Amino acid sequence: MIGEIPTLVFRSAAGAVLIGLLAGLISVFIIRIKLSSMGFCMSHAAFAGAALGVGLSMNPFTMALAFSLATASLIGPASDKAKIHPDLITSIAFPLNMALAFIFLTLTPGVVRFTSEVTSILWGSVLSVGFQDLVYLAVLLAASAVMVVLFWKELFAIMFSRRMAEADGINTKPFIYAILFAIGIIVTFSLKLVGGLLVFALLFNPAATALQFSYDIRKVAMVSPLIGAASCLSGLFLSFALNWPAGACIVLASTLGFALSVALSPKRRIGK
Amino acid sequence: MSAILLKDVSTTYQGEKKPAIHDINLTVETGEFLCVVGPNGAGKTTLLETICGCLKPVKGEVKVLGFNMASDGVKVRRKIGYTPQDFMVKPDEPYKALDVVLMGRFGKIGLLRGVSREDVEKALKVMEMLEIRGLAGKPVGKLSGGQQQKVMIARALAKEPEILLLDEPLSNLDYDSRTKISELLGEICRRQRITTLVVAHNPEHLLQLCQRIIVVSEGKIIADISGGELEREEAVRALIPGLKVGLR
Ligand SMILES: Nc1ncnc2c1ncn2[C@@H]1O[C@H](COP(=O)(O)OP(=O)(O)O)[C@@H](O)[C@H]1O
Ligand SMILES: [Mg+2]
Repeated sequence: MIGEIPTLVFRSAAGAVLIGLLAGLISVFIIRIKLSSMGFCMSHAAFAGAALGVGLSMNPFTMALAFSLATASLIGPASDKAKIHPDLITSIAFPLNMALAFIFLTLTPGVVRFTSEVTSILWGSVLSVGFQDLVYLAVLLAASAVMVVLFWKELFAIMFSRRMAEADGINTKPFIYAILFAIGIIVTFSLKLVGGLLVFALLFNPAATALQFSYDIRKVAMVSPLIGAASCLSGLFLSFALNWPAGACIVLASTLGFALSVALSPKRRIGK
Repeated sequence: MSAILLKDVSTTYQGEKKPAIHDINLTVETGEFLCVVGPNGAGKTTLLETICGCLKPVKGEVKVLGFNMASDGVKVRRKIGYTPQDFMVKPDEPYKALDVVLMGRFGKIGLLRGVSREDVEKALKVMEMLEIRGLAGKPVGKLSGGQQQKVMIARALAKEPEILLLDEPLSNLDYDSRTKISELLGEICRRQRITTLVVAHNPEHLLQLCQRIIVVSEGKIIADISGGELEREEAVRALIPGLKVGLR
């Protein structure tokens, strides 16, 4: 018994930091490449997938990843050619994913229904971040950081304008697909911590906050992961202190961060 | 080898029945400076985007620098400087003017290669020529329409392209800047033998520079005027309504 609590605290805190850094990094690309509706759909598809996993007593996180990537490959080409407006896709996909999730959850054998596993999918749970997850997350973070540094030039041009990047002779498709793939993986891990309903906040808030402060996209890309980590960590401790759900506290912390940044933003000030 | 070669090219926008340009045949030789004129909606932008491969034609063949754009588009675009029509950056976007100019070179620099000091110097030099060097550190979205237009021209030139496609590049500029920049463009393109297509709605500043004018109307090239004919002012005038200034 002794030592278990500190281990749990350490593990969840490390998980929160790693997830925060990753989500913060990817959020820069989600916002600047205007993939937010895609990210939104992918997060809720992951939720539906996890629900199916629970319902069928399979690994919910494998299912979450599969659902979220399937969504990207389904919606990607459609929105790619601008056949359907992204807002429209989001508005239709969100209720659909929720409906699926609720149906899948009712597949759960009666006794297990609304037990820890179901609530952890809905609200997230610090307990579900295991030691192995930390290793995966660390590897994923290192790999993402290396990729971003190696391909910064191309990512930068795509963030400015995908159309212009194409016109300049950059093949944008592999980059977009890599980013979507990364979103799928990050969503899946974040789901463990914050739950399916709130994942999206992590994919959006950090860069939205960082963008309030800088006109230099390099700085935004460096600060946003730190903001992500800070909100995850502070939310986690809030949740320990008040015994509230971790996911909800993390979202509160990150929204508070965004609100503060808007209030303090030098971009909104006039004169000195 | 011609710099640009279009054979029976038609381009149709998604969801449209009628092609925006149809059965276009056009040959442009290396180093030619060509003006594309025509009324709104004639298909000038569509023509330029088809040449650079940003739009895929539904019919015909587009060859640029000897390469087929359908298969080698990405590679060839590294040698094409393109300024789209009415490209505006929103005020809160986090990109500085120098970044945007420099970005023109990214495709050319290639994957896994860093931006060198030489790249930055070339970008700054072009900005100097266009008199926007002082704006290098400013967020590009906070510049005026005309200043942004100069940034986009600088971006295309910084690439040191072999082909230059400019879609109404002077539309937001004041009278003085139009004169200066069109002269500058003429000089650079002549000196570096850049094959240039400039779309101009009101081409008075460019007519002195160009060796050839094509007139586009309703998706077709209805006139292709060059050499001696260009001097026959009345012919050109008749085809370009609203032309105020004299030609050569
Ligand atoms: N994205 C689009 N979708 C459908 N039709 C378009 C699109 N862009 C242009 N068009 C149509 O194609 C024709 C040519 O347009 P464009 O090449 O932009 O003309 P110009 O540049 O000469 O003013 C017009 O009739 C226009 O309505
Ligand atoms: Mg046009």
